[in-house]
Amino acid sequence: MNKSEILHMSNNKTDTMNNSNILLLCASPRRKGTSAMLLERIRSVANGGELLFLPQKGSLDEIAQAMQNAQTIVISGPCYINTYPARLIELLERASSMGGFSNQKLYGIINGGMPYIHTHRHGLTSLQLFAEQNSLSWQGGFVLGVGAMLDGQPLEKHIRRKKIAPAFDQFIQHIKKGTSVPDSLYEQAQVPPGKIVTYLFSKLLTVMVEKRIKNHGYNVNEPNWY
Amino acid sequence: MTVIISDESKEKWGSALEKELLQSGTQVVHFIANAINVEPCTSCGSCGGKTFGRCVIQDDMQTVLPKIVTCRALVLVSPAVFGGVSRHIKKVMDRMMPIADPRYRVSDGEMIKGMRNQKMLYHMIGFGDKLSEAERAAFISLHKENCIIMNVKGRAFILDSNSKTDAIKKIANEVSYE
Repeated sequence: MNKSEILHMSNNKTDTMNNSNILLLCASPRRKGTSAMLLERIRSVANGGELLFLPQKGSLDEIAQAMQNAQTIVISGPCYINTYPARLIELLERASSMGGFSNQKLYGIINGGMPYIHTHRHGLTSLQLFAEQNSLSWQGGFVLGVGAMLDGQPLEKHIRRKKIAPAFDQFIQHIKKGTSVPDSLYEQAQVPPGKIVTYLFSKLLTVMVEKRIKNHGYNVNEPNWY
Repeated sequence: MTVIISDESKEKWGSALEKELLQSGTQVVHFIANAINVEPCTSCGSCGGKTFGRCVIQDDMQTVLPKIVTCRALVLVSPAVFGGVSRHIKKVMDRMMPIADPRYRVSDGEMIKGMRNQKMLYHMIGFGDKLSEAERAAFISLHKENCIIMNVKGRAFILDSNSKTDAIKKIANEVSYE
């Protein structure tokens, strides 16, 4: 190996395997959260792929260039305020102004806390519009609800594991084959909870949240700091 | 008091709206998102626990958040970028978690959260050159989803680059309150 290859492999931001020309891009500031975990799962099942983390500061030119060099791109990120975080939007804006894409296949994954697809779906809509406006080939995506609770644990611990894990693995097969994914794949695995579960879930989560706030010495009924 | 947060890197619709609202006697605080210093949210979780209700990042959001939490209406003005808001506006939105209500409630059969400023009106104005139907629909759906989870009411407007100042007058009327 020459010196530049050694430096590349020891760089703890990137990890190249098998040269399968799949770029796995994590848009979360967390290295070990759900967004990253889903990409790791893809990497082990698809037996390859370069995993990169979106830097939270500085130039995005290197990542945009990596997008141009890949044949398949999978972007995985959290849902902040109903769509992807600002830093990913910044990358898409930058990549868009650089141009130079030629039909790279683009897949998207967005995960959020709420158990509803509609709450997080806008992220995928944005990626599709980005693809259409920049000569990439949108292949579909996966919306994962109740993903925040996982916080990096494997999908087998998901509250809906029986349906979610097989559905996500089917999604990975699509990425391997380069085929497009219908929305129904993730929709059918995540039917919204019924009235009783909704009510109980909201009460339970509220109790947990209030307890956490109290443990830190605050009272949620007091006026906000600001 | 109305807070306007606008991305004026391309067109200055935020300033045009401010002018109209001031003329009608509304108190306005206007932040220009592409000019203020706002770091991305790092998902540290502090605002939900350790420093409940407060963001630990010391930047211009410390000036913006107190205004949002006491305003009567918040208007976000942004170029429509891939059917959503621009990176400047999204950075500000992402940093609003400290003033969200951390509790869960049920509305229309679904779990939602809410804002500490419960009566806040929340409007979005998107603009662009020859926006497609899909881009417009996506922008409006983002605003709608925000309203659902934040438990607030408001309107989304789309401006064309052909829109004349009449359009902003109309919007000013719609976002004005008694």
